[in-house]
Amino acid sequence: MIGYLIRRLLYSIPILIGVCFLTFVLFYMTASPTEIARRNLSAKNPTAQQIKDWEHQHGYDKPKWQQFVDTTEGLFLLRLGRSDSVKGERVMTRIKESWFPSFEIALLSFTAAITINLSLALVVAYFRGTYLDIYGTSLCVFMMSVTYLVYIIGGQFVFGRLLKLTPVAGFLPGWESLRFAFLPVVVAVISGMGASVRQFRTFMLDEMNQDYVRTARAKGVSEAQVLFKHVLKNAAIPVLTTSVQAIPGLFLGSILLESFFNIPGLGNYLVDAINSQDFAVVRAMVFIGALVTIFGYILTDISYALVDKRVRLE
Amino acid sequence: MKNAKVGSNAGILIQLFGTAVLPGCTLPRTSRVSRHDFMNYKNLTYRFRSIGTFFICLCVVVFSAGCGNSPYPAANSSRSILYLALTDDVKTLDPTIAYDVDSGSIVNLLYSSYFKYDYLKRNPLQLDLCLGARMPIVKKVRYLAAMPDGSKKMVDGQLWTFQIRSDLHFQNDPCFPHGQGRQITAADFIYSFKRMADPSVPCPIVAYFDTKIEGMAAYEAHNRKLINEHKKPDYSYPIAGLQLDRRNPYIFRILLNHPYPQLRYLMAMSFTAPLAHEAVEMYGAHLATHPVGCGQYVLAKYVPRGEIVLKTNPNRPVEYYPNTGMPGDRAAGLLVDAGKQLPLVNTVQFNIIREGITAWNEFRQGYLDATGVSQNNFQQAMPRPDYLSPDLAARGIRLVKSVGIDVDYYIFNMDDPVVGGFSARARHLRQAISMAIDEREEIDLETLGLGTPAQWLVPPGLFGYDPHYVNPYRVFNLQRAKALLAEAGYPNGIDPTTHKRLVIYYDNSYTDAAGRQALALHVRELDALGIDVVARSYRYNVFQDHVNNGQFQFANWGWVADYPDPENFAFLLYGPNKRPGPNESDYNNPEYNRIFAEMQTMNDTPARAHLIAELRDISVRDCPLVYQRHSEAYALVQPWLKNYKPNPIALDSPEYYRIDGALRAKLQHRWNKPKVWPLVLVLTLLIASAVPALNVVKQRANRHVRRSKPGGNAGS
Repeated sequence: MIGYLIRRLLYSIPILIGVCFLTFVLFYMTASPTEIARRNLSAKNPTAQQIKDWEHQHGYDKPKWQQFVDTTEGLFLLRLGRSDSVKGERVMTRIKESWFPSFEIALLSFTAAITINLSLALVVAYFRGTYLDIYGTSLCVFMMSVTYLVYIIGGQFVFGRLLKLTPVAGFLPGWESLRFAFLPVVVAVISGMGASVRQFRTFMLDEMNQDYVRTARAKGVSEAQVLFKHVLKNAAIPVLTTSVQAIPGLFLGSILLESFFNIPGLGNYLVDAINSQDFAVVRAMVFIGALVTIFGYILTDISYALVDKRVRLE
Repeated sequence: MKNAKVGSNAGILIQLFGTAVLPGCTLPRTSRVSRHDFMNYKNLTYRFRSIGTFFICLCVVVFSAGCGNSPYPAANSSRSILYLALTDDVKTLDPTIAYDVDSGSIVNLLYSSYFKYDYLKRNPLQLDLCLGARMPIVKKVRYLAAMPDGSKKMVDGQLWTFQIRSDLHFQNDPCFPHGQGRQITAADFIYSFKRMADPSVPCPIVAYFDTKIEGMAAYEAHNRKLINEHKKPDYSYPIAGLQLDRRNPYIFRILLNHPYPQLRYLMAMSFTAPLAHEAVEMYGAHLATHPVGCGQYVLAKYVPRGEIVLKTNPNRPVEYYPNTGMPGDRAAGLLVDAGKQLPLVNTVQFNIIREGITAWNEFRQGYLDATGVSQNNFQQAMPRPDYLSPDLAARGIRLVKSVGIDVDYYIFNMDDPVVGGFSARARHLRQAISMAIDEREEIDLETLGLGTPAQWLVPPGLFGYDPHYVNPYRVFNLQRAKALLAEAGYPNGIDPTTHKRLVIYYDNSYTDAAGRQALALHVRELDALGIDVVARSYRYNVFQDHVNNGQFQFANWGWVADYPDPENFAFLLYGPNKRPGPNESDYNNPEYNRIFAEMQTMNDTPARAHLIAELRDISVRDCPLVYQRHSEAYALVQPWLKNYKPNPIALDSPEYYRIDGALRAKLQHRWNKPKVWPLVLVLTLLIASAVPALNVVKQRANRHVRRSKPGGNAGS
């Protein structure tokens, strides 16, 4: 397994360099440093000299290859540099300040979503062929068809304005944060429920049609025992695969969710950076996103081996 | 027996929902469902310990503990805290750099300047002393000035003598000895001017000073040279035009190489607020998030993209609420707090809320004390202009209208071979286009009726604005426009060189949905004239780059006043201000330039008004711009927020606001009583809908029991 992990880590180096290169190229295709300077300088009409000074201060006057090498080297050493904004704050400092709200909401959403969705998928699978299964599946398709924005605005309206049970937006540190996290978590869970329950249900039903299940039933094993002891265990691998895909979101936050619920997390930070064409922040966040995604997939492979003894990492 | 069966069914459901839901978390020993197990308390408790159930319990506890929609601690409702919203995070809190409205809204509360605008006086706006001890003394001087080429020349300049108050201190901060804010002297004002001219600090208004203050350009050049040599800027390098008084530490003088009465307005901006060199040396670029000011408030908390909290500055300069105002102010209750020491609220909290709908919801709940009316919630706030919705009026919410000191316009590139230049052909073409644009329709569609059609540059409320003047080329008249187009050599819009319709390239920054709607109208208007329009939309900074480089033919532009003087608008057509300066059209009429230079240095007299009218007539005839509108806006104010009067220039209004905390607490409580019953009802219905499913479970369980009976009879 150690050899496998080392190999996977080595594979990730060219992937990360590729990500950096793509980000760099795409960035220069969409905006020139002069345009970024205009966007970030706090002025109506910045002078040519001010733009030139800004480009010099942020290293955009160097040859492009040197800019790429310098920034990529910095990213690999986790020296994320300073933001291109007028404030010029250190990107790492801002990430350290902003990661927790994103992480808290994403972790709660992740845990709640997997708990509830898997439970509901089990219910629907257990009642397969009954009205609960038909209505449940139809409801899932309906929920999948509704856009994320509707859940956010609807959630704010129903829980915040109509029922007056939760704050519409905001965030406070400490235990108070749970009160603010409640509505975003509810929205995140409900918005993803349709797709997940339907997918998990399919995994369950796939397993329920396997020969070993038929054998277990023939031996007189109860339906509940079949479901929990055999089906659930064997459906774990596809469930794990889809769940681990959510890991980058735990760190990078949900862009729309944080924007509407006014949560000062990494998603909001990224939105700000994209809107203000803050390349320094965008490239750092993209790099971290790639890093976390690669880590997530390695973690998935390890968990396969842990869950299913037949899987060996070689 | 009946209960046992129900228990069995419930057990399965509990297990499905609450237990064994995570991979590897199955409970082999307890997963066999039997009716006895589910009547067993210990087993039930064990199931509740599982992760899923625990999570649900946690949610219930959190939810019930924090039940209520207030985003603030409960006790804050009645406290002297003002809650406002910013639409975006601040770019910087550095007073030498901050220029946008969001940043200015905070910076102006943290840093005070020599002057400030009277809170209540309007038409014209009036400057009052703030950190200044007396009005500046202005003397004409004739002296040998250094020219940019190194030569010397006798000029007629001005010497301004300022005297500041002797009771001023910076806020307490670790950058000072023992953390105690030291006394402010005239040297701190000089220091902020030097920082403006530091090439490593992107001060947006340095161009207003560096060509006028004697020696400032030389100082800038000296420091640029040092920076190019990778050395630190030298603030000890003298600027001849910035002088300290050797006998009085509270007096400083500014020597200008030509008369510039607008300096008084610049002395009301945060750029000229005194700066502590200790703070700049200690925090450097971090001054953007770590302000050390001398205003009414200090920064208590800054959560980027979250909130900004300001608290009263213990070292604040003593200031009072004005004793007099405009007619009607007393009746409106704006003089109730006359003579009281500022500020009237102890804490100001700005919530950074990017989404309009979120801000609107919070205002409706009473958790924002005031908010603007955006296009998204216009219909909800006002069924028709100037008429507040009965629902909001019943809550005691007030609707306040404000007029901006700004102007929107289209610009022709005067260097363009088709639309530019001073030939009769080009002038008639520009005039034709101007007359084909129906501003009233644009206002109705783009800003929902808000805005005053602009006849020229100077907006209402400023000296030189003539409310009776009608621009002959801004009267919508399509027939006359077509006639002018024919006079320009384009009969029915046909270009004689190509024998096709004339094509105009229209550059703009309309990239959102509302912008595209506006764009469609603009294209339709010129299409009706007989001209084909090719609209090219860019992100604002790209568009700005195009315009500043002259890469456009016809474009959309605007200007917001830096200070309330007609010079700040008339200079938009002053030849020497050509792009990338504010004169983006590159209009350069010697007659206009001459009159402008004369008008610029005059005080507000009838003679000056006459010169402004001449400038207007010249530029209206040449038509380098098509004037659109002066903005108007609405704000909604909660009944507990007192002394609200919008100011088109000053951003320090929160210092004057007062909160009736008792009323706020009472109304917030009344408006936000939680309703739990709909949630309970929905949950009950959901559970009830699952009851038939219990029968299915029961039947399956019974089948299982029958089948598993050793040696049993399937039919029994």
